[in-house]
Amino acid sequence: MGDVVLELKGIVKSFPGVLALDGIDFELKSGEVHAICGENGAGKSTLMKVVCGVHKPDKGIMKVNGKEEHFSNPLEAYGKGVAIIFQETSLFEEMSVLDNLFLGHEMTKKVGPVRVIDYAAMSKRANEIFERLNVHMNLSTPIKKLGMAQKQMVEIAKALTFDANIIIFDEPTASLTEREVKALFKIINNLKEEGFGIVYISHRMEEIFEICDRVTVVRDGKYISTNNVSEIDKDSLVADMVGRKMGNYYPKADTKIGDVFFQVKGIYDEGFLDDISFDLRKGEILGFAGLAGAGRTELMECICGFSKKAAGKIYMDGKEIHIRNYQDAMKQGIVYVSEDRGKYGLIVDMSIEQNITLPQLQNFTGSMSLIDKKKEDAIGQQYIDEIDIKAPGPDFLVTNLSGGNQQKVSVSKALALKPKVLILDEPTRGVDVNAKAEIHKIISDLTQQGLTIIMISSELPELIGMCDRIYVMKDGYIGGCFDRSDVTQEKILTVALESKKQMSVS
Amino acid sequence: MNQQNKKKASFLTSEFYLAMFLVIVLLILAVFARGFYNLNNIMSLLNTYSYTLIAAIGMNIIILTSNIDVSTGSLISVVCMVMAAIGKTGAPFGVLLIVAMVVGAALSTANGLLVAKLKIPAIVATLATTQIFQGGLQMAVEGSIYDLPASYTWLAFDAKLFGVVPASVLICLIVTVFGLLFMKYSKFSKKVYAIGNNMNSARLTGINVDKTIILTYAIAGVFFGISATIIGTAGQRVTTTMGSGLEMTFIAAVVLGGTSSAGGSGKVIGTVIGAFILSVIKPAINYLGISADWADAIQGAIIIVSVLMSAAKNIRKKRVIPASTVGGEA
Repeated sequence: MGDVVLELKGIVKSFPGVLALDGIDFELKSGEVHAICGENGAGKSTLMKVVCGVHKPDKGIMKVNGKEEHFSNPLEAYGKGVAIIFQETSLFEEMSVLDNLFLGHEMTKKVGPVRVIDYAAMSKRANEIFERLNVHMNLSTPIKKLGMAQKQMVEIAKALTFDANIIIFDEPTASLTEREVKALFKIINNLKEEGFGIVYISHRMEEIFEICDRVTVVRDGKYISTNNVSEIDKDSLVADMVGRKMGNYYPKADTKIGDVFFQVKGIYDEGFLDDISFDLRKGEILGFAGLAGAGRTELMECICGFSKKAAGKIYMDGKEIHIRNYQDAMKQGIVYVSEDRGKYGLIVDMSIEQNITLPQLQNFTGSMSLIDKKKEDAIGQQYIDEIDIKAPGPDFLVTNLSGGNQQKVSVSKALALKPKVLILDEPTRGVDVNAKAEIHKIISDLTQQGLTIIMISSELPELIGMCDRIYVMKDGYIGGCFDRSDVTQEKILTVALESKKQMSVS
Repeated sequence: MNQQNKKKASFLTSEFYLAMFLVIVLLILAVFARGFYNLNNIMSLLNTYSYTLIAAIGMNIIILTSNIDVSTGSLISVVCMVMAAIGKTGAPFGVLLIVAMVVGAALSTANGLLVAKLKIPAIVATLATTQIFQGGLQMAVEGSIYDLPASYTWLAFDAKLFGVVPASVLICLIVTVFGLLFMKYSKFSKKVYAIGNNMNSARLTGINVDKTIILTYAIAGVFFGISATIIGTAGQRVTTTMGSGLEMTFIAAVVLGGTSSAGGSGKVIGTVIGAFILSVIKPAINYLGISADWADAIQGAIIIVSVLMSAAKNIRKKRVIPASTVGGEA
């Protein structure tokens, strides 16, 4: 590791009513990958936004490459050597890769009296950079045609167009497949070798131990600790993050599992799903593993009637049921909680209770079919108590809740429909360690009460810890099924990566 | 490597399909509309095309920022009236052109200020200014200004290239070439596209969004002003409603040209073709012997069909919840 390239001292930042950062210290050297770790809302993203000029700190000193700096926007930060790659990419979807790389700092040449954009020079520079990253990229492709991983490469390349020597990654692997993560890590390692200082923000413990050299923990906006990754273990890191020792990660209680009551047979959807059949037993948690794009979400969409299936039958309690749209599914007691709660799960500008009652307003009316506010309040309060949503009251707007609590609202909304089968798609994506444990507990409790759950997750430890059985999907078909008693991460990954479709015999 | 793909893709753009449509329409007219290709008609069509395209290029920039301007028609009426008042004194065309550009820019900048600074949604802001412009005109002028001198109508009657081609075509050509180059080679154009794509990201990237939007309206105003010089100097009489309703044609030309009504994507070349198709409709209907009352309805139908066709290209790939949000090419 080399010189200190980024130094923060006593950074304080408050928003109306919240002290988001309370005197944070941080130090980054060249040639190191330094993780910042903490629960959601601990202030890690806010800290990085202060660094790159999105937020202005109230107090504190920031030194970049030895000089004190204050940036008023990311473009300025880029110019001084600090590049940030945001959680949601900040690329412009309709514009080409090339335009995105140089937006705001286009290379120009003089033609007569005017300065015009020099596409040739920009292309040459861009190609050099992608070559250095060992990535193949067509510069004229619009961003919307790229996958998440490729978008990230564009973001990294953009950082390199500025000659930045500090790169901040904010949850870079959140929507990548395992293979893409591997490729990203290789690039991060290369950048590190070249002497870049890299800040790595992540929820995922495994990643921190895999590629980071040091880790700084923040909690409730305060600096907690900085350690060499080689000298600590997972438990002590988690303990630092939550402020106490975590007991059991996945508190799955034993439940009585009944007979098969829900069956899916031969679901087919051109290009997405290939002859999928599975059984579901009463009271079990059935997991679906697979890489992104394996067809797990598409399968659930088919079952719930969001998209049409070309072939296949669904049986409940031995009788075939016909689901043409989501209303049909709800009537049959099949309820889906989307992986993207912001986009498909919740109306964030509405209150907790309004979100919960939205799918079944007919049940919350009083005289003249008008909404009965008392009934709404009652159910809102009921779930705030039962599911332990941390909010001042049922009228509280969802947008002001943390990710974990939003997810709880999403689950409450589904539960209020009294489902027989609850489908949870990535139920703990983007929620912090504590909320994750709480959500796992809720899921476990629900099965105790006799609910049957289908759970999709990309986090294998979560699936293995929570599920009674796990189906592994690959390229739109089911590659294998494992029982709770004999499943390991390695087994699942082997199927998810390598299985070939076998001809069905029946 | 990828070069081959690239070539194929860049050839079959939606602009290409639009151009093919235009060619087919023109061929049909050659067969069925007798007399469509006579010199007078072509020249008059080119004149209409000139002012439509110039204003549509201005409108295109505004729509690219995911805003809109429905006041353009009234704005042009005001510019025409100001030109007439000055033209009455015998001012030459050069003076009128500069006045039109300045007044157009000033009025449009007012729109931009309302949208960017006061955060009034563009459709509401420009709907309000439509009425202000129109109302202001009616208070200032009684009906029309007439008996304008020959110096005023110089562009329409005396300025011909090679004795036949109206000079408005030359103005249009200059403006279009400028527009094409400006939207490809200026740093400003990149900001416009970025804002239309994602205003928040644009702001985070360090783009001064408010300033860019105001400037966009100002630049569009210059285009509207130039367009008004062709519209307003067509005769010896200028009324207070010279431009009324024209904004719909301009917006239609932009949308037909493939610019997303949500902003962020679309090229000037599309607008060039879109404006031509719309300029052809009215004379074509006339020469085909169909009642002129059909013109607006047909214009509307063409827009719907073209939007549907460009949407149809994507339908096959799209699902209810797009799988692509998960990302990756695994």
